[in-house]
Amino acid sequence: MNDAFSKCHPLVNFLFFVGAIVCGAILQHPAYVAVGTVCGAVYYVLLRRSKAVKPMALMLLLALVMTAVNPVFNTRGEHVLFHLLGRPYTQEALVYGAALSGVLLTMLLWLGCYNAVLTGDKFTALFGSILPAISLLLVMVLRMVPNLMRKTRQIVGARRCVGKGTMEDAPTGEKLRGGVTVLSAMTSWALEGSIVTADSMRSRGYGATRRSSFMIYRMTGTDALVLTVMVLLLAVVITAVCLGQAAVAFLPHLTAAPVSWGVCAYGAYLLLPAVLHGKEALQWRISRSGI
Amino acid sequence: MAHFQIRNLSFTYPTAKGKESLRNVELTIERGEYVVLCGKSGSGKTTLLRHLKPMLTPYGQRWGEVLFNGVPLQSLSRRDQAAKIGYVMQDPDDQIVTDKVWHELAFGLESLGCEQKTMRARVAEMACYFGIQDWFHRDVANLSGGQKQLLNLASIMAMQPEVLILDEPTSQLDPIAASDFLNTVRKINIELGTTVIITEHRLEDIFPYADRAIVMDGGAVVADDTPRNIGKLLHQQQSEMFAAMPASVRAFYGAGGEGECPLTVREGRNWLSAAFPTAPQHSEMIAPALPEVKAPALSLRELWFRYEKDAPDVLRGVSADVPQGSIYAIVGGNGAGKSTTLKAVCGICRPYRGKVKVFGKNVEKYKSGELFGGCLAMLPQDPKSLFVKKTVREELQEMSRDGEKIAAVARLCEIEPLLDSHPYDLSGGEQQRSALAKVLLTEPKLLLLDEPTKGIDSFFKEKLADILCKLKAQGVTVVMVSHDVEFCARYADAVSMFFDGQILTTDTPRRFFGGNSFYTTAAARMSRHVFSMAVTAEDVVELYRKNRGEAQ
Repeated sequence: MNDAFSKCHPLVNFLFFVGAIVCGAILQHPAYVAVGTVCGAVYYVLLRRSKAVKPMALMLLLALVMTAVNPVFNTRGEHVLFHLLGRPYTQEALVYGAALSGVLLTMLLWLGCYNAVLTGDKFTALFGSILPAISLLLVMVLRMVPNLMRKTRQIVGARRCVGKGTMEDAPTGEKLRGGVTVLSAMTSWALEGSIVTADSMRSRGYGATRRSSFMIYRMTGTDALVLTVMVLLLAVVITAVCLGQAAVAFLPHLTAAPVSWGVCAYGAYLLLPAVLHGKEALQWRISRSGI
Repeated sequence: MAHFQIRNLSFTYPTAKGKESLRNVELTIERGEYVVLCGKSGSGKTTLLRHLKPMLTPYGQRWGEVLFNGVPLQSLSRRDQAAKIGYVMQDPDDQIVTDKVWHELAFGLESLGCEQKTMRARVAEMACYFGIQDWFHRDVANLSGGQKQLLNLASIMAMQPEVLILDEPTSQLDPIAASDFLNTVRKINIELGTTVIITEHRLEDIFPYADRAIVMDGGAVVADDTPRNIGKLLHQQQSEMFAAMPASVRAFYGAGGEGECPLTVREGRNWLSAAFPTAPQHSEMIAPALPEVKAPALSLRELWFRYEKDAPDVLRGVSADVPQGSIYAIVGGNGAGKSTTLKAVCGICRPYRGKVKVFGKNVEKYKSGELFGGCLAMLPQDPKSLFVKKTVREELQEMSRDGEKIAAVARLCEIEPLLDSHPYDLSGGEQQRSALAKVLLTEPKLLLLDEPTKGIDSFFKEKLADILCKLKAQGVTVVMVSHDVEFCARYADAVSMFFDGQILTTDTPRRFFGGNSFYTTAAARMSRHVFSMAVTAEDVVELYRKNRGEAQ
């Protein structure tokens, strides 16, 4: 994947997604929801290309079903469209359902983007500088699990080859005993290994002084610029929300604040990754045609 | 001023009941020296090395002192001792702390609280020097053993130590990775002037380059001289350690050579050229052709296997016939599929095509319990994977209730004094023999060994060879997979070359190694211009003496 925003500093990535997902969850104003969904979908497609089609179709289906189902349970609202099983099916409830499923759709899309952009190592790198000890612990645990599984497989294989493997048709008690033996052998083996790991850590100065944390990602000028623009836009959005620009009531009848500059700022914020992506693609095209 | 000065150091482990692990050790190591420490397993090498690094010094009673740059080692701060004294251990995997290569490289620097800028520069520098840049972002789990050990070395060198201490760093590596690693260590010593103190079983690769060799026995230093003189000394003393010397040294003294002893293959060749200016009368070892195999103990036909559906094939049509009552060795590069072949025989891996027949019967047709109870057994590469109890005796009792049988096997494997020890307290060679004893209690007629000589010294190798020969005499068929060409050349009846997922050639060791010019033993490389089919130091000695005996 060659995406300009993914190459930004993890802090930029992380803050952007926090902003996008929190706003997406809170703002129910139809205009904001629409902007959120469209921007999320654009970036999701840019990230996943042809692989985006299937999950997006599923998400859309889910949203449509939710929209259609909401008025069945919620019968409030002034404009009755028709009666279903003797209960009114109202226009307001339908719009409310659409807004709710739009919120859900937005969050799903942004979470999908989050997963593609903020990989596990970026996450640990990000929190390593804030909580070095805990992040190191996390890294070691992550490494330990596959190690233990490999050792267990080796022990089971080795025991099988000396006729001590448990057969599939063995009684449960015997299987259980076999399992306990393997588990205890694996534990002693792992403990033996952890003594070596501890020696290796101490001999490389672990605990000698306060740890620092190696950041493989560097904050560049572009990162700082993107971060500044992001924070400014987000501040504008928050101001707009505080001024009541995103106020909305669906029931008993739809009353929404008029669309204003707040939505534009929101859209600009959410389009940032897509803009960065497009800018880089364009630059490549130009520089290639220049050769 | 000497870099390390060890003054009259003695040490006893608390559990050793007064038996000294180090006895009056008196040593001086100069700045920039390359010192190799040799001795049998349990001679106190590791204990001595650990005394040179305060963080790793074992608990126990101690006399004497160790000076580092003229000051007592204990007065060094934790920070200084971490930065100035680097220590590489045996196990490549357990030494690694983090999950990413770049993080591991930075680990020591992070511990020292280095600044971001310094860390960046040092990590970059190390990655380039050690050729790590191509796998800088990889997960540690996806590295080979050799790469892991190189990473351990690099992450220690990142702290720019003055001294590098290595405790059998290559014992878990295959020969190619091992010699790569040792070359890197040598490069560090020569290019950076870092003092190197190393213990090793594979003296062939180190001896020629070391400034000094120190021989230990029973916790005491018994010899301390240049490698050339050490060879001579050990031969004069008829020491057991002489078996660990490079092939050229063994051949030279075995043939009764006088003067400068050859240390490398090149020097060995020159020595033989000088000894035989014209073609010698007896120039060939007797090497009968491999007899045709009738009623094979194990027969493989066109095995094909891959680990995952989309992965490349590991076995690509493996076929072989192993004669009954012989020692059959399979050699070949790392990751070629040798171990997988053994796993396929045991049914741990199921080939998707081909047949495995054990004593003429398809393995699939054996009933469960019948195959591994008295017919087939395998000794895994890592003996630790077989240990499940608290003592070796309990391990053996798990396999058999018959006390006499246990006693007989313990005698055969020479582990009687170890029966009450915890398996994890044993040395590599002792663990190997205990695991072998456990395997032998199933009374297999066909014994499979996966890298049986990995991590054990030359002394234990000979013991292992004795055991294998005794088993062969009892009619047991042994199939082993090994990197150790010297061991296979000496003890196997037939050797197969594994390459590209199949067995390409099979022959007797003499014909096999005598015909190869690269993939062969040091003795063969040294002598092939005057003798043919001489593949061990003993062969070279035999031909040398034969020719000399008639010339005089």
